Amino acid sequence: MSHPIPTPVSSPAAPAVTPVDLHSARSVLGRSASRVVRTGRTLPFSDPRHLEASRWLVDEAWLLDAQAYEEWLDLLADDIHYLMPVRVTTALGAGYDTSPGMAHFDEDKYSLSRRVARFLTEHAWTEDPPSRLRHHLSNVRTFATAEEDHLIVDSAVLLFRNRGDVHEGSFISAGREDLLRNTADGWKLARRTIMVDDSVMRMQNLAIFL
Amino acid sequence: MSDQSSVLADVRRGMIPAHLYNDRELFELERERVFGRAWVFVGHESEIPNSGDYVVRRVLEDSFIVTRDEQGVVRAHFNMCLHRGMQVCRAEMGNASHFRCPYHGWSYRNDGRIVGLPFHKDAYGGEAGFKRKGQRLLPAPSLGIYNGLIFVSMDPDAPPLEDYLGDFRFYLDYYTKQSSSGIELRGPQRWRVKANWKIGAENFAGDMYHTPQTHTSVVEIGLFREPKAEKRKDGCTYWAGNGGGTTYKLPSGDLDERLRYVGYPQEMVDRMKETLSQDQLRVIGEDGFMISAASIYPNMSFVHNWPKVADNTDQVLPFISIRQWQPISEDETEVLSWFAVDAEAPEEFKALSYKAYLMCFGSTGMFEQDDVENWVSLTNTAAGSMARRLLLNSRMGLLEDGTEVVPALTPDEFHGPGVAHTGYGEYNQRELLNRWADDLEQPVKAAVTMEVGYAEQVSSAQENSGPLRPVDDVAERAVEVAAPTGEQTGAGE
Repeated sequence: MSHPIPTPVSSPAAPAVTPVDLHSARSVLGRSASRVVRTGRTLPFSDPRHLEASRWLVDEAWLLDAQAYEEWLDLLADDIHYLMPVRVTTALGAGYDTSPGMAHFDEDKYSLSRRVARFLTEHAWTEDPPSRLRHHLSNVRTFATAEEDHLIVDSAVLLFRNRGDVHEGSFISAGREDLLRNTADGWKLARRTIMVDDSVMRMQNLAIFL
Repeated sequence: MSDQSSVLADVRRGMIPAHLYNDRELFELERERVFGRAWVFVGHESEIPNSGDYVVRRVLEDSFIVTRDEQGVVRAHFNMCLHRGMQVCRAEMGNASHFRCPYHGWSYRNDGRIVGLPFHKDAYGGEAGFKRKGQRLLPAPSLGIYNGLIFVSMDPDAPPLEDYLGDFRFYLDYYTKQSSSGIELRGPQRWRVKANWKIGAENFAGDMYHTPQTHTSVVEIGLFREPKAEKRKDGCTYWAGNGGGTTYKLPSGDLDERLRYVGYPQEMVDRMKETLSQDQLRVIGEDGFMISAASIYPNMSFVHNWPKVADNTDQVLPFISIRQWQPISEDETEVLSWFAVDAEAPEEFKALSYKAYLMCFGSTGMFEQDDVENWVSLTNTAAGSMARRLLLNSRMGLLEDGTEVVPALTPDEFHGPGVAHTGYGEYNQRELLNRWADDLEQPVKAAVTMEVGYAEQVSSAQENSGPLRPVDDVAERAVEVAAPTGEQTGAGE
């Protein structure tokens, strides 16, 4: 199988905005995150590494739909950086499209663990009654890295969230870049950057994970 | 329009017609009579530190380019081209010396003056047909700045911002002037909630009663040193000028110990001691109260709290958020939530304070998540006919005859201006809604119109009382620098 289609991300042309893998490094709390980057083009869809990464993402999406957050937390590396920048509308050529020094999520394992612990109390009212969630996953692209036990995986996610009976549901559309690390305990998420497609979020809160 | 006098009368005695949290007619009145005159927050000077920096902010539907011109003057231009009414700036933020309308190419300097009018001579016969000289984007009717906070008012005759804020400035300084450099503001996170805008403003102004119930979960997960959310009743609520807020009671100790208790490093404590007044320091050091949430009428709020930001430590980190409840309709609000931090704070403190903010407030904040759930639900329930039969009791802290359950703190017990009470109460919610009732009763004057291209700046009266009315030192300096440029220079280029 040949791969005639060039990979846009590794194109040498100057990027109009910050490349996705640099957001973590430039964020306020991402300094100690792993800096492993992608190399080369997408792996063939038949590549076992792509199949493993795809399976991992689909399984993870199921855990997030089911709000099985304790199990989800176990999939995160201890040094995880979980980032969702705030997107802003800027002129073409401004060179940035995220709010400087601000994010929706800029998390480490501690802050994520507190969020999960809160959902497990009996007093997290925003999820009692719980939302109905569906993470629709697509456009999975897997890249090798310079380190054999690390993969970069891009994906698109469309979250539908519905609460109560008569309220309209709400959507979040986002692209994600994940750094997956193979450990003795299976693949772990070591870094995630979520590029949401809204500037003004249309969901009452982000008591969800992407 | 129905007669609202009975609604206003009920509100004034602390009985709230439940439908006022989801009522189209009242919203139309608010649009005209609350937001047609109030000072509304649009941004902070630290968001536009350099000449040409701008952010685009709204007051209801009205979009303003809030920018710093080449002379350093902060301005708010109505974001509408003088020709066909197109939005001249379609980005949220950036840096520009000029704004060019994409429709026909009219362009404006960042001080608002028109600089480019394609085919001026061919199309209009030059100045004889269209007086380009002196034309500028319509300025906000009034603009004022306090501690770098930029406000606009739709009323050209609005009272000075300083007078409008009144004694609340005493409390505003705790959030925005911990050192002589003031704050830097980051964000905002923006999101829309199906809730009426007044609910958030009331909640932040004085609802210390909701904390033990709504926010049980954040205490349960060990985010706070204090084991019980019930601690709130030992704090006080205060109202002063056009705003009010809540406080926590601090454990015993002197000023330094108490500020360090909430997580301020000694160098920040030292700067606060240089910057804040003796009475501002006494409220903390002698009276033992630390500011928490607050609101300025109508729709600006603040919060200050100090959670743990790491495992296996008792160390807490304070954060400050500034937010606005921007009305979209009677049942929808856009929340704008900023993170604020003292500009002179150590970088490590800034980073951890930001972490504390993200964990607690904003689009992902664990406090905010449960607040919004309640407010959406309340708004939803207030829409129907049954809500019109219900007068909610907002008289907490008062006996039926108006006697206070707990008397106000004496000047010796509380060194801040205004009136303060400990214990559970809804004093501040009543203060806020009383101002709302006062505004709703008073029609606003018809606005002056500006005729584009003919009259010499019909709006010049607003201009003089507007953007060039400083209320703090920074703006005053900027205006001095700007004064020599005048209105006419360069307008004919």
